[in-house]
Amino acid sequence: MQPSPAALLAALALPFLGAVAAPAVHRLLGERTAYFAAAVAAVTFALLAGQYGAAMAADPTASGVSYEWIPALGVSLTLYLDGLSLLIGFLASGVGVLIFTYSGGYMHGEPGQAKYYATLLAFMGSMLGVALAADLVALFVFWELTSVTSFVLIGHYQRTDSGRYAARKSMLITVSGGLFMLVGFLVLAFVAGQAPELTRTLTLVGTPDSLIANADAVRGALEARGLFLPVIALVAVGAVTKSAQVPFHIWLPNAMEAPTPVSAFLHSATMVKAGVYLVGRTRPLLLPEVAVPDWMLLVATLGLVSMAITAILAVGATDIKELLAYSTASHLGLIIAGYGLATEYGAEAGAFHILNHAVFKATLFMVAGIIAHEAGTRYIPDLGGLRSELPITAGITTVAALGMAGVPPFNGFYSKELLFEATYDIAATEGGLFWLYPAIAVFGSVFTFLYSIRFLMLFFGEKPDGLHAHRPPWPMLAPPLLLTAVAAYIGIGGIAGSFGFAEWPLVSEFVAAVTNASALHALEGGFTYYVPTTLSPYFAMSLLTIALGAVAYPFYDRIHAGVRRARAIPVTSPNVYYDAALSGANRLSPVAAETVHNGVFRRYAYTALAAVSALALGGYAATGATLPGFAGFVVSLPLAVVLLTAVLGAVAVVRAPSHIAGVLTLSILGFMIAIFFVLSDAPDLALTQLLIETLVLVLFLLVLDKLPSWYGDLKRREVAADVLLSATVGVTVFVTVLLSTGATAPNPIWRGLAERAPVPSEHGIWILDAGGGNNIVNVILVDFRAFDTLGEISVVAMAAISVLVMVGMRGRSEDVETDADTGPDAADPSADGGETA
Amino acid sequence: MTTERETTVIARTVTRVVVPIILVVALALLFRGHNLPGGGFIAGVLTCTAFALVYIIYGRESLRTLVGASAAGDGVLAGLPGTYARLFAVGLAIATGGGVAAMALGYPFLSQAVLYLSDVPAVGAVTKLPGIGTLELASAFVFDVGVYLVVVGGLLTIISVVGSE
Repeated sequence: MQPSPAALLAALALPFLGAVAAPAVHRLLGERTAYFAAAVAAVTFALLAGQYGAAMAADPTASGVSYEWIPALGVSLTLYLDGLSLLIGFLASGVGVLIFTYSGGYMHGEPGQAKYYATLLAFMGSMLGVALAADLVALFVFWELTSVTSFVLIGHYQRTDSGRYAARKSMLITVSGGLFMLVGFLVLAFVAGQAPELTRTLTLVGTPDSLIANADAVRGALEARGLFLPVIALVAVGAVTKSAQVPFHIWLPNAMEAPTPVSAFLHSATMVKAGVYLVGRTRPLLLPEVAVPDWMLLVATLGLVSMAITAILAVGATDIKELLAYSTASHLGLIIAGYGLATEYGAEAGAFHILNHAVFKATLFMVAGIIAHEAGTRYIPDLGGLRSELPITAGITTVAALGMAGVPPFNGFYSKELLFEATYDIAATEGGLFWLYPAIAVFGSVFTFLYSIRFLMLFFGEKPDGLHAHRPPWPMLAPPLLLTAVAAYIGIGGIAGSFGFAEWPLVSEFVAAVTNASALHALEGGFTYYVPTTLSPYFAMSLLTIALGAVAYPFYDRIHAGVRRARAIPVTSPNVYYDAALSGANRLSPVAAETVHNGVFRRYAYTALAAVSALALGGYAATGATLPGFAGFVVSLPLAVVLLTAVLGAVAVVRAPSHIAGVLTLSILGFMIAIFFVLSDAPDLALTQLLIETLVLVLFLLVLDKLPSWYGDLKRREVAADVLLSATVGVTVFVTVLLSTGATAPNPIWRGLAERAPVPSEHGIWILDAGGGNNIVNVILVDFRAFDTLGEISVVAMAAISVLVMVGMRGRSEDVETDADTGPDAADPSADGGETA
Repeated sequence: MTTERETTVIARTVTRVVVPIILVVALALLFRGHNLPGGGFIAGVLTCTAFALVYIIYGRESLRTLVGASAAGDGVLAGLPGTYARLFAVGLAIATGGGVAAMALGYPFLSQAVLYLSDVPAVGAVTKLPGIGTLELASAFVFDVGVYLVVVGGLLTIISVVGSE
């Protein structure tokens, strides 16, 4: 069933329009812009919710809505709405409403609010684009847009060093990961396009020709060329960088520099979900139905390892937002692992945990914001016993943190249970090393339990002296409260499930649709979940996790210190490599710039001329071009006289005693060439040559005064090099002219041009397909090749502007320089540009 | 170029006579370019030589009054360069505008057309030849005018900036 195109387009466009309007709205409403943005998000949410029925019945072969974008390249704006994209869309717009409302309280008195709301709205639109776009290029564009908006938001406090560092780090990692993904997409589309049974398309899903609709054929084409694993790896790099998986998780803790609502929105509920969305979306395409697919070995292993490592790192955190950041990376690892496992339960675990994680983690981030705002610190050792002063927040945190810990019957338990079930099933069927899957899952979950309880204990236990918290304002309290209600509702569904309510309203149907979007076959019998009443192996795994966690919790401080010591060893931290690479690049760039761009005109001329000659001659040698023969070569007497005069002029240029004499003798050469053109029946060329020669002469005369009359003695070595270069350039030009004039195409282009240039013999009043002029040179210039001419006159204009700026404004920079110029070495060698000849 | 050295009377007189002729020839080259040797580019370069001649023989100030530019000031665009810069900007706009006009009529960017009229009485009256009154109006001429203005403006900008150094 196809969703309403108008609703999808409106939902996609509205946030961007809101972003454009935000600065003006901020001028009118001030801090209440938050509620304007929340209203935009609410309308978007409503538009998407209206398509709920269509999304539940989505058909990957037909439900796409297509608009042309770049038809010449096959790029379209295809929108596709199924359970998975609707879930991400709901997270972007629904959590968006809450975050904007929360921002109304949190951002009170903060600087740069117009920028903040505009960027946040633009981000929301980009995220919806990621969710809805079914075209690979469109998906990539929206994907990178989320990175760019995230960059701006992380760097919200742009005057702080840490803010800039964090923004740059996230940008570099996520954008470069996106480029890997783009390469993967292009390889995928290109290889699939070459398969005879497939049409060439960039559409991922939603049309009969799309890649997912023909998943088996696409996999076959990729495997036949041995590109299946590389495509999986490339797409996975995109997902892993975006979703902050090991070893690219390092940007996420730094991203906590952003205002807390941004962290809650981008770095827990939405943007980092883009990576897992990609994994879920491409799963049916890249996961073949074999016992141990490459996909599982790569994606599931990566997800589980990330889940465990980042959970351990979360235990080592001392800042509540840092703890939540690592925890986010860990839970994303869980989702990716779920999608990686080649069982039905794996897809269910991934799908259900996207929902559960967004609900409890966004809540906890908002709680962290409340603590930071109202207690004035985010340092974990300074916090404790906040229950008495923040009772509602304590209640919220209990539900959310126990959900995060995976304690039944709270919401996170069910999806984690599904992951345990999936890993256990794989291990039971495959045996051997695959038993590591459930082992790692339990191991990582123990740490998850530990840090979840630690976070919860901020509200319990003894209160440190001097810690006071104020009641948060309602705009900051209502959004997490609402999310907690959702979490509780999901949790109650599980209890109801144990009492025989198989289908919990809303949740079951929705999660089933989300699962189907990334499953190979539609779920049979829908999606059900419940608190187990019998001791299955996976329930035993859950209980073991909780038991181990409970036993280890009294030693939390010791584990925490141990993790911090391990983290302090430089080799263990990817941050060290990142910083080293970055500072290395920073040091390298000025060195490279000074080598390439050293301000000495001689070197520029040498590199450019030598490179052109080498490339041209190398090209001739590589293609085995042979010079045409000179048989039947006749020169008339006038031509011989003219050419001889030109040669004499050229010799005289070299021997000229002064600049004036040199320029004048050079123009002898030029004018002789003009006469040569006249004799060769090329009046246009002759005219142009004559005029240019005159003008160049005038220009030379204007600047000759300024040139020094004596450059000093040249070294013998330099003279030799000059001669060598001149000779090479001369030979190159000579050979090029001979080859290009000697080559005759079987059907030369001038024939067609010459036919079409004049007025055709039969024509009406309007001549459209012919030039209608006898001067073919001019007709080519202004009609057939007018676009080239437009480029050329643009270059003329650019050159004039450059001269205006570089020469005309030079006086200003020189004034500045003379002020700063205190010593002989103080002048920057590159400041003079090409003037140092 | 310094103006301390006085130019000779001969040079000044010849310039006075030659410059109008150069300009007329340049215009002729521009107009006839579609059918005979000529065109916007050559016409533009020729026009530049005329201005350069005035500049060298009479100096910067007289050229400024001739063109009617504002007095030279601190800004980069004050005085002659400003006038020239406007010239090439207008030229670029004309050349591009013509191309966009073709798009507005549903043809690809920069498509050109020719309006070919035969038996135009007025042309017949001028040529005094019965039946030969054909008039060809090429839209490419608009583009050529753009090229002409860009070349004149661009080259003169360079000459005046470099010359004033």
